[in-house]
Amino acid sequence: MIELKNIEKYYANKGVKSYVLRHVTTNIKQGEFVSIMGPSGAGKSSLLNILGMLEEPTYGQYEFMGEDVVSLSERKRVELYRNHIGFVFQAYHLIDEMTVAENIEAPLLYKKVPGSERKSRVADILDRFNMVAKSDLFPNQLSGGQQQLVGIARALVAHPTIILADEPTGNLQSVQALQIMDLFKKLNEEDGITIVQVTHSEVNAVYGNRTLHLLDGVVNEERNKIG
Amino acid sequence: MFKLNFKIALRNLWKNKVYTAINIGGLSIALAAFIVVLLYVTYETGYDKDVPNYDRIYQVGRNLPDHKTDYTPAPLAKVIQDNFPEVEVTGKMSTTWFEFPIQTEKGRVYSTKALLLDYKVAKMFNIRPEGKLADENDPGLQLYVPKLFFNKLFPNEQVIFPKQVSLGPKKAGQFVKLYGTIERTDEHSNIKFDVVSLSKDISFDNKDYGTNNFKTFIQVKRGANIEALQQKIDQLYKREVIKAGASANDYRIAGRSVIFLDPLKNLHLKPMAGSDTNYKIVFALFGLGILIVIIACINFTNLTIAQATKRAKEVGVRKVLGAYQLNLTYQFLAEIFMQCLLSLALGLIIAEVLLPVFNRLFGIPLSIWHGDQTLFAQLLLILIGVTVISGIYPALVLSAYKPASVLKGNMQTSYKTRWLRNSLLAAQFVIAIIFIAGLLIVNNQLKYMRAEDKGFKSSQVVFIKNIQFYNKAKDFEQARNKMMKIPGVNYVTVASDIPDGSKPGTNTYKLGEQESSIDFIDVDFDYFETLDIKLKSGRFFSRNFMADTAGSATLNESAVARYGVTNPVGKIIRGCDMDYKIVGVVKDFKAQGFEAAVEPTIYSIKNPCNNQKIKIMVNIDQRSMTAALAALKSQWPSINNLDGDDFRYEFLDELYGRLFKKQEQLQSVFFFAAMLTIFIAVLGLFAFSAFTTNNRIKEISIRKILGATDFQMFKMLNTFFIWIVLISNVIGWPLAYILAKNWLETFAYRIDIPLFPFVLAALISTVLTVLTVSIQARKAVKTSPAEALKYE
Ligand SMILES: Nc1ncnc2c1ncn2[C@@H]1O[C@H](COP(=O)(O)OP(=O)(O)OP(=O)(O)O)[C@@H](O)[C@H]1O
Ligand SMILES: [Mg+2]
Repeated sequence: MIELKNIEKYYANKGVKSYVLRHVTTNIKQGEFVSIMGPSGAGKSSLLNILGMLEEPTYGQYEFMGEDVVSLSERKRVELYRNHIGFVFQAYHLIDEMTVAENIEAPLLYKKVPGSERKSRVADILDRFNMVAKSDLFPNQLSGGQQQLVGIARALVAHPTIILADEPTGNLQSVQALQIMDLFKKLNEEDGITIVQVTHSEVNAVYGNRTLHLLDGVVNEERNKIG
Repeated sequence: MFKLNFKIALRNLWKNKVYTAINIGGLSIALAAFIVVLLYVTYETGYDKDVPNYDRIYQVGRNLPDHKTDYTPAPLAKVIQDNFPEVEVTGKMSTTWFEFPIQTEKGRVYSTKALLLDYKVAKMFNIRPEGKLADENDPGLQLYVPKLFFNKLFPNEQVIFPKQVSLGPKKAGQFVKLYGTIERTDEHSNIKFDVVSLSKDISFDNKDYGTNNFKTFIQVKRGANIEALQQKIDQLYKREVIKAGASANDYRIAGRSVIFLDPLKNLHLKPMAGSDTNYKIVFALFGLGILIVIIACINFTNLTIAQATKRAKEVGVRKVLGAYQLNLTYQFLAEIFMQCLLSLALGLIIAEVLLPVFNRLFGIPLSIWHGDQTLFAQLLLILIGVTVISGIYPALVLSAYKPASVLKGNMQTSYKTRWLRNSLLAAQFVIAIIFIAGLLIVNNQLKYMRAEDKGFKSSQVVFIKNIQFYNKAKDFEQARNKMMKIPGVNYVTVASDIPDGSKPGTNTYKLGEQESSIDFIDVDFDYFETLDIKLKSGRFFSRNFMADTAGSATLNESAVARYGVTNPVGKIIRGCDMDYKIVGVVKDFKAQGFEAAVEPTIYSIKNPCNNQKIKIMVNIDQRSMTAALAALKSQWPSINNLDGDDFRYEFLDELYGRLFKKQEQLQSVFFFAAMLTIFIAVLGLFAFSAFTTNNRIKEISIRKILGATDFQMFKMLNTFFIWIVLISNVIGWPLAYILAKNWLETFAYRIDIPLFPFVLAALISTVLTVLTVSIQARKAVKTSPAEALKYE
C-alpha cells in the first residue's frame, strides 16, 4: 500500500541543511499495523506528514496505492483524503466553531454521504466512544482527553482504508489508552484497516505488527512478536 | 453542507462580535454614502431622460469670437426644417428674464420663469397642458398656468377657457387669453417654467438675423450624421446671415464654424454654451463615493486577513478531511458575501436617514423608493463588486493555507500579507489626511471669501423688484425723492444690473486707439454711493453736472488697465455710436463673486444700446431698517406709480451670499467625507491594533515577567502604528497640496495655502492613532501574565 524509497527531508536555514529524515526506505502493506517510535524531534511527525501527503519530501520516491504521490494532482489527493485516509493529530485539531457531532460529521459531508446515513453513523460512533452526552458541546468545553477521542472518532467515521495517528493516546488515561489500542487492533484485524501510529509508549507500540524506530532521521525496523 | 457552513459562519461572526460589528458597520456607512451619491449621479445625469426621442434631440448654438451661446436668431429653426430632410422637427423656445404679475379682479400671482414655446418643442419635450387642447394652427399665444396659480386667479369659480387675464402691473396690464392649466411637478428637465405660452410660432414670423433671442431645438431622424448636419447648418446659417445684409468677413461669422449641435443629454451637466461646473461636481462626488467604498473595502480586507490566522486551523483540517481549495474559497467568499449583504441592507437604512439632509443641501428630490429599478440593478452590481473587492484576497489567502504548516502549529502570517496589510492601512490614512487637510483649506478659502473686502457694501442695501423701465434719470427722480423722504433711507438708485453675480451686457468700446469688448452697466445717480464703492480718481456722477445724464461715463480699474491709459479722467471713450467723457474711475469691486477676476466695466447713465434699468436699490440705515421697509411697503403704490401693486424686495447680502452656495455645498460634502474617512480609518485601526495586540499578549506577558515596565510596553505597541501614520502623512501632504492648489486655482481671488492644515492633519491623525492603539495596549498590559500564559 505504501512504498517509500530513499526519502530525505531537510530544512535549509541560512544555508545550513538540518536533516529531519535520511534515506528512509520502507514498505507498509495493506492490513498492517505499524508503530513509529523515537525520541522527541526525531522526525516521527514529519514522517507521518509525508505519509499523509501533507508535506513533500525533499528527495525520494513515494507511492501510495500504486500511485506516485509526487506527481499527484490536488483533485486526486483530495479523493484519497475523502475515501482512504483518516488522520488523528497529536494536537487534536478539532474545528473550534463546530460541535462534537458536527466535527465528526464533517468528513462525511465531504464524502457526500446522504443525510440519514450520516446521522446514524455519527450517532453510532458517539455511542461507541461514550460521548453521546457531549455531542452538542464545543471543543473548548471538553477536556484534552475527550478532544482526543473526538479526533479519533472523526478519523474512524468515514471508514478509511488507512489511519495515520500521531500519538493518539498522548492525553488519555492509561485504561482509556488501552481501550483505544484495543479498538485499533480490532479495526485492523476485523476490518483490515491499515494503521500507522506514532507513539512514545512501548506498551502501545506492541499492539502493532512491527515498529519503526527513528533516531536522528534514520529508520531501524523491528518485527513485533505477535501477542 | 451549506447549512453547516452557514452555521459556522454565524458562530464565527458572533465569536468575533467586535470585529464583525466594525467590519459591517464601517462598510454599511460607506455604502450608505455611496448609495446617496449614486442616486445623485443618476438623478443629475437623467435630466429629460423620459423624453421620447431623448437621443435624437439637439440644441443649436453659436460660437462667438469670445464665447459660446445658445441664443439663435428667430428664422433659423424654420430654414433648418425646410432644408434638411434628416431633421424631423425643429422649434424655438424663449425665456423671460424678469418677474411679472398675472392678475384678475380676484387675485394676483407672480411668474418668475415664464416660457414661450413653439408647439413642436412642447411636443418634443412631452409638455402637455390640460384644459382646452392646444390648437396647433392658432398663430396666437396660448397661456397655461399651474393649478396653484389658477386657484389664486380664480378662487372658487367655474371657468370656461379661454379666459382673459392681465399680464403686468395693474396700471399697465396687457390682456391675454388663458387657455388652461398645466401641471409639471417634475422639475427633472432642462425646460423649466412656471407659466408657459404655446404658439405655432412664438416669433410671429420674425425674419431678423440680427438679434438672437431664441433657443432652437431640433430632433433628427434615426441614424442622421450629426457632424455632417452641423456643417450643413453652419453653411446655411452663414448664407442666410449674409443674405440678410451682413458682410462675408463680419467678425461674427468669418473664418470659423459658427453653428454647433449640443445633444440633449449634455444640456444639464455640460452644455457647450455654459459652464461644466455641475458636471465636475457630479464627477467629483462620484469619485468621492467610490473612494469611500474602497476605503471601507480595504478595511474589510485588512481585518479579514488579520483574523485569518484564527481560521487557519479550520482550513487545514477541512483540507485533510477532503475539501478542495476551491470549496474553501467559495465558503469564505460566501461568508464575506453574507456580511456585505447585511452591510448593504444597513446601508440602505442609513441612506434613507441621510437623504433628507442631502436633499436639503443640494435642493433635489432624491428617493430610494422612487419605483426606479435601475437603483436595484446598481445595488446588485455594488454588492457583487464589494464582495469581490473586499473578499477575493482574504478568500484566496485563507483557502491556500497548507495543512502541514498550520496543523503543525507554527503558523505565521507571511511577510507578504503583512506588507500588504500595512500598505492598506497606510492608504486609508493617506486618504483621511488628504480629507482633513483639504477640509481645512476649503474652510479657510470660504472664510476668506466671507471676510475679504468685496469692494462694495451689501449689508444695508435692499434690492426692490420692479418691471417699470427707468431708463432716463428724470423718470426716476420722482420715485427717488419720495423714497428719500423716508427716515433711514440714505441713497436710492436704479440700474440695469446689481452686484449679485449676474453677468451684465458686453459691448465694444474704443478709447484712444484701443478697441475692446467690455461689460457695461447702466446706472443712475447714487449708484456708487448706494453700494459704498470707493472712488479712485475723478468724481462720481452728480446732479450738479448736466452733462452726466447725456454723455458721462465712469470706468473701473480693470477697464483702465485694459485700455492701458494713465490719466483716463477727461478722456473720451466711444461706444454704441456715441462719445462718453470719462468723469471718474472707481476701484474694482467683485460684483460677480470670487471665482472670476473683476471684468473691465463701463458705467454710464445714458446708453442707447441699453439694457432696461429696472433694478432699484436702496441703502438704509441698519437701525431704521424695519421701519423704513414698512414705510416703503405702505407707500409703494404711490412711489412706483406703474408697478406699485406689491412691494417685493430682497436683501443684497443674501443675494450675494448665494454665490457661495456651490462652495458651501462642497464644504459640507467635504466635511462629511472627512468625518467618514476618519471614522472608518479609526475603526480599522482599532480592530487592527486590537488584533495585533491580542496576538502579542503572550509576548507582552513574558516581557513583563522579564521586567519590562508598562510604559515600555505602550511604547513598543505604539511605535509601529506611529510609523505608519508618519509615512501616511508624508505621502498625504503633497497629494493634499496638489489637490488644494488645483481647487484654489478656480478662484481669481484666493488664499495662499497655509501650513497649519497639514500640521493639524498630522496632529489629528497621530493623536487618534495613539489613543486608539493605547486603548488596546492598556488592555494587553493590564492582563496578568498568569492569565495569558495559562493556555499554552
Ligand atoms: N518548519 C521547520 N523548519 C525547520 N525545522 C523543522 C521544521 N519543522 C520541523 N522541524 C524540525 O524537524 C525535526 C523533526 O520534527 P518532528 O515534529 O517530526 O519531531 P517528532 O519526532 O514528531 O517529535 P515529538 O515527539 O516531539 O512530536 C525537529 O528537530 C524540528 O526542529
Ligand atoms: Mg511529533
